Amino acid sequence: MVRQIKQTPMNWVERLYIFEAFRGLFTTLKHFLRGLFRYETLPTVPYPEIKPEIPRDYRAKHRLMLRPDGTPRCVACFMCATACPAHCIYIEAAPSVDGRIEKRAVRFDIDHLVCVFCGLCVEACPVDAIRMDTQDTSYVHRNREDFITPMYDLTAWDPKQYPQNDTQSQVAPGGSKNQQALEAWGLKVH
Amino acid sequence: MPHLPSSSSPLVTIKVDGKDVQVPGDTNLLEALQAVGIETPHICYHPYLPVSGNCRQCLVEVEGPRGMGLVISCYTPVKAGMVVATPASSQRVKSTRKAVSEFMLVNHPLDCPICDKAGECTLQKNYMEAGQNESRLRGEVGKHYHGNPDNEFVDSKGQTRGGKRVDLGPRVLLDEERCVQCDRCVRFMRHVAGDEQLQLAARSDHTYITTFPGEKLDHEYDLCVTDICPTGALTGKYFRFQQRVWMLSRTPSVSMDDSLGANIWIDHNEGHVWRLMPRCNPEVNRSWLSNTSRLAFEKFAENRLPASDIESVKLALQTQGKVALVAGGECTLEDIVALKMLKASLGDRAEIFVGSFRPVVAADGIAKSGDPVANRAGFKLLGLAADNLADLVKRASEFNTLMTINNDLWGDDANQAKALEGIENRITLAAFNTETAHKANVVFGVNHWSEVTGTMVNCNGILQKLSAAPTAPDAELIPTFQALSIFAGTPITEALEAFKVASKEVPVLLGLSYETIRSTGAKLDGVQA
Repeated sequence: MVRQIKQTPMNWVERLYIFEAFRGLFTTLKHFLRGLFRYETLPTVPYPEIKPEIPRDYRAKHRLMLRPDGTPRCVACFMCATACPAHCIYIEAAPSVDGRIEKRAVRFDIDHLVCVFCGLCVEACPVDAIRMDTQDTSYVHRNREDFITPMYDLTAWDPKQYPQNDTQSQVAPGGSKNQQALEAWGLKVH
Repeated sequence: MPHLPSSSSPLVTIKVDGKDVQVPGDTNLLEALQAVGIETPHICYHPYLPVSGNCRQCLVEVEGPRGMGLVISCYTPVKAGMVVATPASSQRVKSTRKAVSEFMLVNHPLDCPICDKAGECTLQKNYMEAGQNESRLRGEVGKHYHGNPDNEFVDSKGQTRGGKRVDLGPRVLLDEERCVQCDRCVRFMRHVAGDEQLQLAARSDHTYITTFPGEKLDHEYDLCVTDICPTGALTGKYFRFQQRVWMLSRTPSVSMDDSLGANIWIDHNEGHVWRLMPRCNPEVNRSWLSNTSRLAFEKFAENRLPASDIESVKLALQTQGKVALVAGGECTLEDIVALKMLKASLGDRAEIFVGSFRPVVAADGIAKSGDPVANRAGFKLLGLAADNLADLVKRASEFNTLMTINNDLWGDDANQAKALEGIENRITLAAFNTETAHKANVVFGVNHWSEVTGTMVNCNGILQKLSAAPTAPDAELIPTFQALSIFAGTPITEALEAFKVASKEVPVLLGLSYETIRSTGAKLDGVQA
């Protein structure tokens, strides 16, 4: 759809610019006074004191999903690393210690300076091990190496920060469904 | 073994999909169709194994006395005037192949993401070619494991699984779930390796691969079963979970540890060799590679000599007295050319010796000739005596300087090499920090044979090409021929230049260049080891 905007030519008062300049200054003054006395009605967010509301499906920092017993769900299949257009995922695989699971990642690094946050890794994952729903959009480090996020950082998330109907997050240790999940796994702790 | 078509096969005319085509007449239908560019999906058939015909994936329709009937193309000999229908014209062939593929995958686990074979798996390929069926299994039932009851377990989803990591031997692991009972590995051990260590146990869909009770799969060629396994059932422990196969780049080369010169693929990623795979060459090693050659890559980047000072080697060569230049079997034709240039520059006081203290053993008839001097025929081709090391041992006192080129004399046999310890000035040109390098007073690190372009002549007189894999641990390292030519004072930087020098000397090499040597090598007339 094409929206056409008609521009009306300026009349001679406007073309003097002197009154228009004061009108512009008046707008600035209005916002200044609004910021002073009626701060809460401003459309902007006073970042960083108040963080903006980020939707769940926004592609934010990654997290690695956990099994009920606390191990990462990742099976080191390299699908995310293969799909990644920025080549920012580094994985090292090893045989799993659990006899029922074959392969695990001993190293899973994401370089968040190289990452383009396209979400293809999430799409590629066959076991729903990687998600980008942390709502964490800004993270600051002092040097470049610290932006390479290792596995212990990617798995350090709290199920309480995720909605109750997010089953996979809730079966993780500390989640509301973890006890049930452990029972299903035959790992009930008394 | 199936009779494979060759250039001397008689041509016969058969009718394929309504069109007359000329195919080799002395082979099976599968190979004949392949010769005219029609690929037939197959699992149990392997050109270098006896035909078993158990997978039923290669079905085609052939006209018989009762009209068109489905037959397996791998076990049907070609006959003049045959009428054949492939999926291109027959819906029946198409749907049967699809059904076979579906049956094959009924209890095959969906392991592709964690399976080391994924990416080079025959089942995956056939599924894309002939299958593409929707799963008709109910998700809540899932796949079912029927194999060896000893290896059964219930997984975290409550499904019966089993046999995920059965230890067959020191090098091979078996995954019974992934096995499709094509019995390629059984036939390989029985007919090629000649040591029947694997067997199919139990019957019908309870069949599983196993070794004899209390026995292990342990043979010089046992890792070949991981290559011929069409699925990820048999995997080599050395490569398990190391890399996904699509991440690897392949460089065609020749294994320089044996004079048969087994053709190999060097599979590398990020400057690191991850595995060596046999490269099919019907005249040389077919599809086989010995464990020694295959696992040699583990040492390629270890214990390497650094690139060192050219001047110090030149200075050491200036020492008064006679110089013995001792070349090893890993030298390519290009290295030999440069070696001859070095000898010419040193004049009469230099003498070339070739050979190895490692004994020549009997050929095993699969992929090894038993001769450790890989390029022995190449030395002979360029007019050098190819086995005169014993001569050097006898006349050791005549020499003042000993220069070893890719020849680990002390590492191969320290007792025999002891006679050479009288030679005071010792120079070593090698890739590895070997025993010989420890004995030397000047060492010079060069590229390993996996990192150089060159040619070698194998024991059957086949000129084969090595390609350089970009896996050198140090960018400063130079190939042997370059180092030798620098010492000779006439630097050659390109391997092709050295090859051209060789082709000027030897008439059989005339007209050959790196482009015209085919991947299977070029047979040189009248050249023998």
